[in-house]
Amino acid sequence: MKISLNWLKEYIDLEGISIQDIINKLTMSGLEVEDFVNQNEKFKNFIVGYVEENEKHPNADKLTICKVTDGKKSYQVICGAPNVQKGQKVVYAPIGTIIPKGNFEIKKAKIRGVESFGMICAEDELGLGDDYTGIMVLDSNLKVGQKLSDALELNNVIMEIAITPNRPDALSHIGVARDLTALFDKELKIPEVKLNESDIDINDVASIVIEDEENCPRYSARVVTDVKIEESPGWLKQRISGIGLKPVNNIVDITNFVMFECGQPLHAFDLDRLEGKKIIVKSTKGKTKFTTLDSKERELLPDTLMICDDKGDVAIAGIMGGENSEIYQDTKNVLIESAYFNPSSIRRASKHLQMSTDASYRFERGTDPGNTLYAAERTAQLIAKIAGGEIAKGSIDVYPKKIDNKKFILRHNRVNKVLGYKISKQHTLKIFNRLGMKTTELSEDEIEVTVPTFRVDIEREIDLIEEIARISGYDNIPTIPKISISLGLKHDETLFTDRIREYCNALGLYELINNPLQPKHFAALTGNAIEVSNPQSIDMKYLRTSLLSGVLNVVTRNLNRGEKNLALFEIGNIFNLKKGKKVVSSFNDFDEEEILIFVLTGNKIEREWYSDTESFNFYDIKGMVNSFIDKISLDNLLNDSYYTTDNSIYEYYLTKFFKDRVIGNGGKVKDHVLKQFDIDQDVYCFEFNLDALKEIPVVSKKYAELLRYPRIILDFAFIFDKETKFEDVSEFIKNKGSKLLKYVNVFDIFESKEIGDNKKSIAFQLEYYDSSRTLTENEVEKDFENLIKLVSKKFNAKLRGN
Amino acid sequence: MLAQNTDKVNIDFLKDLSGVKNADDLEQIRIKYLGRNGVISKLFNQLKHVAIEDKPALGKNLNLLRSEVTSQIEKLKSSFVSQKSKGDLQMDLTLPGKKYQIGSKHILTQTLDEIKSIFKEMGFSVHVGPELESDYNNFEALNFPKNHPARDMQDTFFISKDFLLRTHTSPVQIRLMENMKPPVRAIMPGRVYRNEAVSARSFCMFHQVEGLYVDTDVTFAELKGTLVSFASQFYGEDLKYRFRPSYFPFTEPSAEMDITCFICKGSGCKICKNTGWMEILGCGMVDPNVFENVNYDPEKYTGYAFGMGIERIAMLKYGITDIRIFFENDIRFLKQF
Ligand SMILES: [Zn+2]
Repeated sequence: MKISLNWLKEYIDLEGISIQDIINKLTMSGLEVEDFVNQNEKFKNFIVGYVEENEKHPNADKLTICKVTDGKKSYQVICGAPNVQKGQKVVYAPIGTIIPKGNFEIKKAKIRGVESFGMICAEDELGLGDDYTGIMVLDSNLKVGQKLSDALELNNVIMEIAITPNRPDALSHIGVARDLTALFDKELKIPEVKLNESDIDINDVASIVIEDEENCPRYSARVVTDVKIEESPGWLKQRISGIGLKPVNNIVDITNFVMFECGQPLHAFDLDRLEGKKIIVKSTKGKTKFTTLDSKERELLPDTLMICDDKGDVAIAGIMGGENSEIYQDTKNVLIESAYFNPSSIRRASKHLQMSTDASYRFERGTDPGNTLYAAERTAQLIAKIAGGEIAKGSIDVYPKKIDNKKFILRHNRVNKVLGYKISKQHTLKIFNRLGMKTTELSEDEIEVTVPTFRVDIEREIDLIEEIARISGYDNIPTIPKISISLGLKHDETLFTDRIREYCNALGLYELINNPLQPKHFAALTGNAIEVSNPQSIDMKYLRTSLLSGVLNVVTRNLNRGEKNLALFEIGNIFNLKKGKKVVSSFNDFDEEEILIFVLTGNKIEREWYSDTESFNFYDIKGMVNSFIDKISLDNLLNDSYYTTDNSIYEYYLTKFFKDRVIGNGGKVKDHVLKQFDIDQDVYCFEFNLDALKEIPVVSKKYAELLRYPRIILDFAFIFDKETKFEDVSEFIKNKGSKLLKYVNVFDIFESKEIGDNKKSIAFQLEYYDSSRTLTENEVEKDFENLIKLVSKKFNAKLRGN
Repeated sequence: MLAQNTDKVNIDFLKDLSGVKNADDLEQIRIKYLGRNGVISKLFNQLKHVAIEDKPALGKNLNLLRSEVTSQIEKLKSSFVSQKSKGDLQMDLTLPGKKYQIGSKHILTQTLDEIKSIFKEMGFSVHVGPELESDYNNFEALNFPKNHPARDMQDTFFISKDFLLRTHTSPVQIRLMENMKPPVRAIMPGRVYRNEAVSARSFCMFHQVEGLYVDTDVTFAELKGTLVSFASQFYGEDLKYRFRPSYFPFTEPSAEMDITCFICKGSGCKICKNTGWMEILGCGMVDPNVFENVNYDPEKYTGYAFGMGIERIAMLKYGITDIRIFFENDIRFLKQF
């Protein structure tokens, strides 16, 4: 919210306090000054100039050569505006001036062959208005050579203050001034209202009925008759345009002024346009339509609070008026509405209508129910003063359920317990009193604090403690450089995934992080996707159902950038609706699982002096998966299955099981899937369900005796039928071999014409040992010979000659 | 006898090996020495005839010989493969070394790790929770009533009326306190979502670390101490800081912590909006309403909580100006860290 320093000074004496000091104190007490403009600084070089002569530029139709004087010296200035005339008083920017619009410096220039020393400015270039059609022509009474800031009283500082949602009381100049009185120990000066009332009794010309007392606890009104709708006087226009509002007419400007003065939103009705001269406050029953004063028809929810007259709706309470009862040029009699509405009712309506006005913004945060009458009277006073007219006698103030000041007890010891430091009782009392709260000391430890209705945020003792802390300054609270450590608390739920990341790095993989929000065709690829009901775009409407599509998308992006060789991993959560569920209404309706994915594509080794290009293949991903499983000590617990069909994603793949549960799955991604991602090279992926992995009971490691006796290693090779699977043979050998056979590995595999079509050669290496003695060649040889026979027979294999 | 034979076989083998010119020659040698009826097999056969006390040593020697022969053959074999057409390669030590790739964690993970290790040393445990949360855990239990303007502070992606994508990791605080009696001292890292337009400065998803400490005598002064200690470990010893009052529904009093802008060193620049300060985290004393929601006695216990955005910290620390680059996963970006 914009706050004007000059305006603030109406309510607090800030004499002798620097601007920087004010800004710091505000920021450090919770009213954060995000930005500020010091007009004095901004306009320091501009001066009131006088156009002595003007003639057409010889080389340009639209340009004028002017002679501008600052009273001491004349300058030649080229001007492009159509309205420049000899005899005008204008805003002259001498060389070296920074122009606010565009933030550029005026330099000596040559324009179409004629020199120019400075610039004559338009309103928009100065940031003083929107007019860019011509130069700004100043009042002829201004003194030539005077500083523009003095001439136009541009000596203000406008601050942009971020008001947190709990502090609606600070959404006004008096509100901010009140905090300043506590910060600088000053008096708050609230404008006194004294009204000259006419003989017309308000009750004879208007009446008010509240039907929905819950949502409208108070409605105050004043009537002013015989007003004249005009442009506002200069001071008023300056006040409200200074904080970024557009002047409309005197009545509207005054209601805005009072709102920004004391925080109470006001609405002015044309009394003669109110049917029956009556206001009825009630909520809509069913769905209703209403045309607001911006000429838009809007659909209202049932139970929307409305301001009505005898005939129908005239305004959406607290949000916006309708076309029918607004202030028009011919309005004579005005009814001023100053009400307190239930914040959540206004918020509900404004959310639904997606309309946030200065009024609704305040109402939904909570205005001061105790201040409605004052605000109505302050408005009436200003209307009578500025727009003429007479104030009808008396006010209408319907206040069915009075909202009282709140009282809380503050314990000094509690302040110390929460903040960790002691603050003097005297200081505490002063802070509360400056903030408008009355205090009564009940005992040595306790004070009773009466909190006025404007402080909607203070509801408990802790809120009072916050007031003490923020006004006395957080900097004054000590910074204790030690904490006590409770033992036995150490626990880290991220340890497992941290370990996994280390292993992935060791495998040469880089970690990626994807956005889990995806378009439908990504999310639907792998599961039963959950939809976001208010997405930002159609591309982020669904939650991912696996990590696969996101990762393929990353592959695509990298390929498009010429990066073809990728070895990546991601750890992230996926979301799936459970079978048969359509919506999420409990935690049982969906699964959120943590997944790890490996991705390999392109070349493992690029062409090098020591090697040819080698591309990633299935055995790379399989090898990584197995090394990983080994590293997390699950190598003996999981079973593998291999498939070459029946999967919508993979052409062929490996599945890892723990008992019956699938805990990992992956292989070569099908071409038609890759096509959807515009990928034209092989991609290998493997996904692990980390939640499932974590649940597998890990057997803690035990030391295994190191071998003290030699191993015997023998090898043989057979020619098999081509379809024979390595694992079938190796398992067979392991089963049939003696107890001494501890390890079987494949070390060579090939096909060639010489061994015959539909044949292949597999060479095995067999490792024998016994942990308690040296093996004899004989016993091993016997087993080995036996295996040769068995394998030959079982697989119809031929031992290769050696 | 056997020992001498072993040595002789070794010498013969080396001689034979020096005569090898191609892979075929090598295969012949392999069969001669390692074949089933090869020289070494025969030596093993002789092992049965030696005295029992000599067996272990001789057996060991034979095994050594076999593995030596095997590895020599393998070595030569691979050189036939890799030399290919390049002919004899003179040792040129200036050739680049072979490439090995170690991979890396995402820079956001690395940043989080650094933060985590600082707090773990201070005795904080680490907890996580789900991203798809209930409205109750994300808002109501944290003192954000329905229809309250405080909800505007966190634009939310809704899944249904009562479920949403968590807007902060604070629901993990609720889950933790519901399941544990004080003292509680934990940090909660995780992914959060905000329904904000994607731009260079903001993304619809980002990461946070929050912290929580509840015990019988936890004070604001300790909160300041903890966070100043964290900041000086993370950002540097000679750091200037300030705590500014702010508002979060789940803490009271609430604060934001600023440190000197490290772009301009406090003199004012575009990044810090000319204030000279940079906000790094939000914090405060746990609101008594939150304690009541998790059945902690607010009279007995006090606590503090804090939270920070990891992307923001990483951007400041590494000079990244566009948040979107974190999630593009361009391999050239990933490899930089
Ligand atoms: Zn800076």
